[in-house]
Amino acid sequence: MTCLRFDLRKKMIPYIEGRLAGPGTARLERHLLSCDFCRALLVRLRTGHQMAQRLAWLSLAIDEVPQFDSGIAGLVATGATGRAWPSTWPDRLEALATPRVVTVLAAVVLLQLGLLVVSNRAVLLGEHSRTSVSTGSINLAEFRQLTIPELRSNTQPHVATEGYVEDVHTDEEEGTVAFRLVERPQSGSSFVVCEIMSPIQMAPPPEGSRVRVYGVERYDAQQDRKWYEVNPVLNIVALKP
Amino acid sequence: MDRTKTKAAPAVALKISPARAPEEHRLTVAAKRGEPGVFREIYNAYRARVYNLALYSIGDSAQAQDVLQAVFLKVFRGLAAFRFESSLATWIYRIAHNECRDHHRRRKAPFVPLEAVLGSTDEVDPQPSSHEQHARRERDLIIQRAVMQLPFKMREVVVLKYVEGLSYEDMARVLGCAPGTVASRLNRALAELEERLRPFRQLL
Repeated sequence: MTCLRFDLRKKMIPYIEGRLAGPGTARLERHLLSCDFCRALLVRLRTGHQMAQRLAWLSLAIDEVPQFDSGIAGLVATGATGRAWPSTWPDRLEALATPRVVTVLAAVVLLQLGLLVVSNRAVLLGEHSRTSVSTGSINLAEFRQLTIPELRSNTQPHVATEGYVEDVHTDEEEGTVAFRLVERPQSGSSFVVCEIMSPIQMAPPPEGSRVRVYGVERYDAQQDRKWYEVNPVLNIVALKP
Repeated sequence: MDRTKTKAAPAVALKISPARAPEEHRLTVAAKRGEPGVFREIYNAYRARVYNLALYSIGDSAQAQDVLQAVFLKVFRGLAAFRFESSLATWIYRIAHNECRDHHRRRKAPFVPLEAVLGSTDEVDPQPSSHEQHARRERDLIIQRAVMQLPFKMREVVVLKYVEGLSYEDMARVLGCAPGTVASRLNRALAELEERLRPFRQLL
């Protein structure tokens, strides 16, 4: 069975290279103890890594690389110089008016129009999905619908839960977006931490909005956490407040 | 919410040691001024790395040379507008990556095996070699060929990491994506590489 711990999979190469910090190593090793899929993947990655490492020793023949005089010098010397960026706006617009730029601008305008139509349609329907990947392979109806407090006693991996969005947080280094989903806004009520991660691309919901989140439930037992998570988030549906 | 792991990606320069960075800066400033001979220095400093990337990406030495030329023409043309928002190396790598990607999109031609690029092993290494050296070279060629037959995006991350030695952060800058995406892509590439080389495990 496929494991959805994309977050831990991303740590496997640093782990193999011995570059993963202590807590990360412990977290990954705990998971490996109970996950056949990730153990098998780790073995494959280690083998692939060992083979790929040999590339570092394989230098391609340097004499194949053209020397400056036989390569680019002629082009540089014969006026293949860059055009300076024009100093006046009419000249700049003229410089920008290449067929390629015009095509790109036209495509952007059409895309914006398309998004506007789709967005309006979603508003009329009352709710819309925020995910940018196809959920064709995921049957959202099979996700267990639970309230946030009910997540504590749940034993099913795939859950759907509703609440208000607070504390949206982007981690650029990890490439993840996390937010807190609470039962009632600003009340200190029960919460679950939701995490969106690559390869699932999804715009984070606006803070204060009410959403239904689909994903994999887990418990983060780290010392400074000890909270329930929906990680990874597989789909988000905006709801009426 | 205390998310202590959060921090912005460090602004490290690409494979430029602290000792080398001032030299790179000096070269770039001089090149922007159009000082004679400086562009040659830049070319000589980066040509092998750009060529390596192009050859692994494209799989054909003649086309890799064309890409090399196109990359350095763009570098030459773009130097005046270079604003030190990244290191020179990152910028050159990014141009090379874009050029390889565009070349790959335009071409869509059948893959050329590495043997066709390098010729027979006798041609590659004119020195009389021992049996073990010959066998090692054969093994290396199998790995190189397997890498060059990976899908383009997978091949890129493998080459940037294992041939060029870049960090996830630097790869992300060159490829224009998040480090997390780099990590996922690298995982897929290595798993694919392992699968392709599995029949040769006894040899390797």
